[in-house]
Amino acid sequence: MSLTQPGSGGSTLVTAFDAARSELEADALRGAGGRAALERYADRVDAMLRQLFSDASGSDVPVAVIALGGYGRRHLCLQSDIDLLVLFEREIGKAEERFLRGFLNPLWDLGVVVGHQVRELNDFERLETNNAEFLLALLDARPVAGLRSLFDRFRTLFHTAATHAYILKSLLELIDQRHAAFNATLYQLEPDVKEAPGALRDLTATRTIAMLTDPLLLRRGPADPARVDQAEDFLLRVRSTLHLDAGRNQNVLSHDMQERTADLLGYPGAEPRQRVERLMSDYFRHARIVTRALDWARKSAPLPVGPNLGLSRDGIRFLDPILAARNPATWIGAFQAAIDHHTEVSEEALSCVQQHVDRYRADDFFPEADDRVALLRLLTPRAGLYERLSEMHDCGLLGRVFPEFQAISWRVVRDFYHKYTVDEHTLLTIRNLERISTTTAPERVRYRNVLTAVAEPELVVLALLLHDVGKWRDDDHAVESERMAVDVLGRLQLRGDARDTVLFLIRHHLRMSLVAFRRDTEDPEIVKNFAAFIGTEERLKMLCLMTLVDVEAVSPETLTPWKEELLWRLYVDTYNHLTQRYGDELIERNQAGLDELLKQHPDDLSVAEITRFLEGLPQRYLQLFAREAIYRHVRLARDIHPDEVHLSLERSGAAIWTLAVATLDKPYLFSNICGVLSSFGMNIIRGHALTNPNGLVLDVFQFTDDERFLELNPEAHQQVLQVLERVVSGQADVTNLLRGREQGVLHARSASRFAPVVRADNEASGRYTIVDIVASNAIGLLYRISRVISRQGCDVDLVLIATEGEKAIDVFHITKGGSKLTEAEQQALTSDLLRTLEGSL
Amino acid sequence: MKLIKCIIRPNKVDEVKDALAKLNIAGMTVTEVRGHGKQKGHTAIYRGKEYNVSLLPKMEIEVVVADNMADDVVKAVVQAARTGEIGDGRVFVLPVLESYRIRTGEKES
Repeated sequence: MSLTQPGSGGSTLVTAFDAARSELEADALRGAGGRAALERYADRVDAMLRQLFSDASGSDVPVAVIALGGYGRRHLCLQSDIDLLVLFEREIGKAEERFLRGFLNPLWDLGVVVGHQVRELNDFERLETNNAEFLLALLDARPVAGLRSLFDRFRTLFHTAATHAYILKSLLELIDQRHAAFNATLYQLEPDVKEAPGALRDLTATRTIAMLTDPLLLRRGPADPARVDQAEDFLLRVRSTLHLDAGRNQNVLSHDMQERTADLLGYPGAEPRQRVERLMSDYFRHARIVTRALDWARKSAPLPVGPNLGLSRDGIRFLDPILAARNPATWIGAFQAAIDHHTEVSEEALSCVQQHVDRYRADDFFPEADDRVALLRLLTPRAGLYERLSEMHDCGLLGRVFPEFQAISWRVVRDFYHKYTVDEHTLLTIRNLERISTTTAPERVRYRNVLTAVAEPELVVLALLLHDVGKWRDDDHAVESERMAVDVLGRLQLRGDARDTVLFLIRHHLRMSLVAFRRDTEDPEIVKNFAAFIGTEERLKMLCLMTLVDVEAVSPETLTPWKEELLWRLYVDTYNHLTQRYGDELIERNQAGLDELLKQHPDDLSVAEITRFLEGLPQRYLQLFAREAIYRHVRLARDIHPDEVHLSLERSGAAIWTLAVATLDKPYLFSNICGVLSSFGMNIIRGHALTNPNGLVLDVFQFTDDERFLELNPEAHQQVLQVLERVVSGQADVTNLLRGREQGVLHARSASRFAPVVRADNEASGRYTIVDIVASNAIGLLYRISRVISRQGCDVDLVLIATEGEKAIDVFHITKGGSKLTEAEQQALTSDLLRTLEGSL
Repeated sequence: MKLIKCIIRPNKVDEVKDALAKLNIAGMTVTEVRGHGKQKGHTAIYRGKEYNVSLLPKMEIEVVVADNMADDVVKAVVQAARTGEIGDGRVFVLPVLESYRIRTGEKES
């Protein structure tokens, strides 16, 4: 279609467009070119475009024409560009190009300035970050012609939390830049009614901020929204007079134009000067209203911090409370966001939760695996956790997420020493743990270090949350709490070992205080029994912290420095027992857990084979490994011959690999294995090396593969195992493999590292010299340590490897020629170790 | 009257209290204290580092009894608190010059 063709629809179009313009010009001339006039004009342009759309030859691909920017808002001024998005459902071809020409050419012929963008729907699947103005214009998108459903699909793709957050950030930057160009003042003698501070762009920006963050924001602002609307109408009326006179998109209210505009807008006054003054004083009044509204919006707008969550001055809010009410799975996120941003959950969000919480069951709050992970993450002890859990409790959420907790709400137990209701006592234990996480009090730092060393501190909080739920009944509450916790942990689908640990902590939460305060902990037998009961250092750390905060939450007077000291001593003695004395306690026929292990054996293993394998291993072995792992080890040790090495390498967590090695003991064995792992860049974080009297060695290492060698290379798995076999059997030398890697380690040493600690002890164990080593963790550290031990002619019999952040904590049980080391040999070894550690770290 | 002051192991408090109850002694003061005698503390080691434990946690029990009860009380305490190891504690017997009941202000004999 062309306008030059007489008798076609073209002349109708010209006529229609002229009529629309004339009407707006007449409005402007009467000083009435405000919002209503502009909307009428926009509607007429809409009709024109719809006509053009239906006249243009058809597109095979579904298409929609969408108004953007000011035109999208229906504020189309006389000389404004008509901003359009022509959106196709998919890739376009010849027919669509023909359609575009048919649709756009007549507009150009009319002399209309069209700002058009042609896009395919999937262009909006990714956020375009190079054109913030275009994204802003898209916020005003309004369907004009074509397929409505296509427009709806565009909206769904475009309006995401991430896009909104990006646009908001860009908009705030654009405002600052624009204001800077006007020296950041609205009091301009010749203001630009579109761009100046307080003018139309600021007004739109104010509404955009509200739209992106909190639609009700402006209603809470200092200015009546009606006054903002009046300011807008005024600015638009002024702008219409400017466009009318200039005949182009001219928005500066210059001195010349001020007289003309004052006349058109009908300001009274005998002298032009008086009329101009009245106009300008109105202008500044309106501009000030706009500026205040924008300032308010900028200050008060919630910052998007998660799905449907905003951070505002009164805390975390649901951006859309109606949506939030329907999605209980997003509620935990509000409390998480509050902790992350060191704020609270807003009263409004809390009432929203309170109002709707009774409609949902526990599972509704964590339906997906990600939600369950998020719930556990919420329980990480750190500043703000107690406050947030208390808020959750007050608004009824905690008791819905954990109905078991509801049973102890406001529960009073009269026992003459507890000072608070059971629920508050429980929350206070968590507050105490949270305080330990940040304490700098000298007598408390030791406990903070224990907390830092716990791999999953959220499990301690989970155990604390549930440790007294059994108090809804009057009898033995620890047993009842454990019974109730089984259901909770089942719903959370906690991993088996984590579940066992939490249940252990709940069931035995009174045990450590009983032993520490009521038993003679100077009696080695008491410590030995407690160590056997607790099993591992990790559980010891967790129960110790739990005991401390539980006693402290009974009343302000209950935990005295005296009790703290008793608890600490039991902790240290038990820790030492677990790490240093376990080598003396070998598996016995009647040991707990052994019966079950033997009875439930898989078909391919006989009782005799398992018994033979366990013979001479420390009792601790049964506590360290789950049944399935033990059966795997038995298989690994089967039919082993000198110079053979049996290996298994598997992934045991998102970032953790486990290597199990069974072989017969030989010199440098342990250091060779460590060396091979280090040569592949593996970072050993935990491990156990065990030897039995027949010379069978079982080494189990857990390591992280920080360079993702195993993950990214399909051959890597096999390669690591082959190199291990060759090195352990003596066919390859690990020193050569490590050369390049060690250079790297030396270069990478950091200034923040601390002095290593090495201590040899002949007292702790009846059979071994114990060497405790605490040093900065580094790749190859274990290799270097164990090489020194072998170089000194010592045999590595048992090893415990642990890392706590930057620190490596290794305990070696060693002998020389089958006996403990002499004083001189200890001296030689420790100084050699210190030289190596200090020289290379 | 005598003030009998017993420094004992923390885990022996219940046994000592029971022993005193058998002698019909109801009033007592129990305090958590720290100190050392001949035992002089010891060196504890945690993760290869030594730290000195010079003051050990103990419990102090104080009772005031009639002069003629003092010997029995001391015997009962010693019997209940003894383990035979270093660090079992001490019992001190002190004369009490006067004693007043605060509620009534009356002097006790």
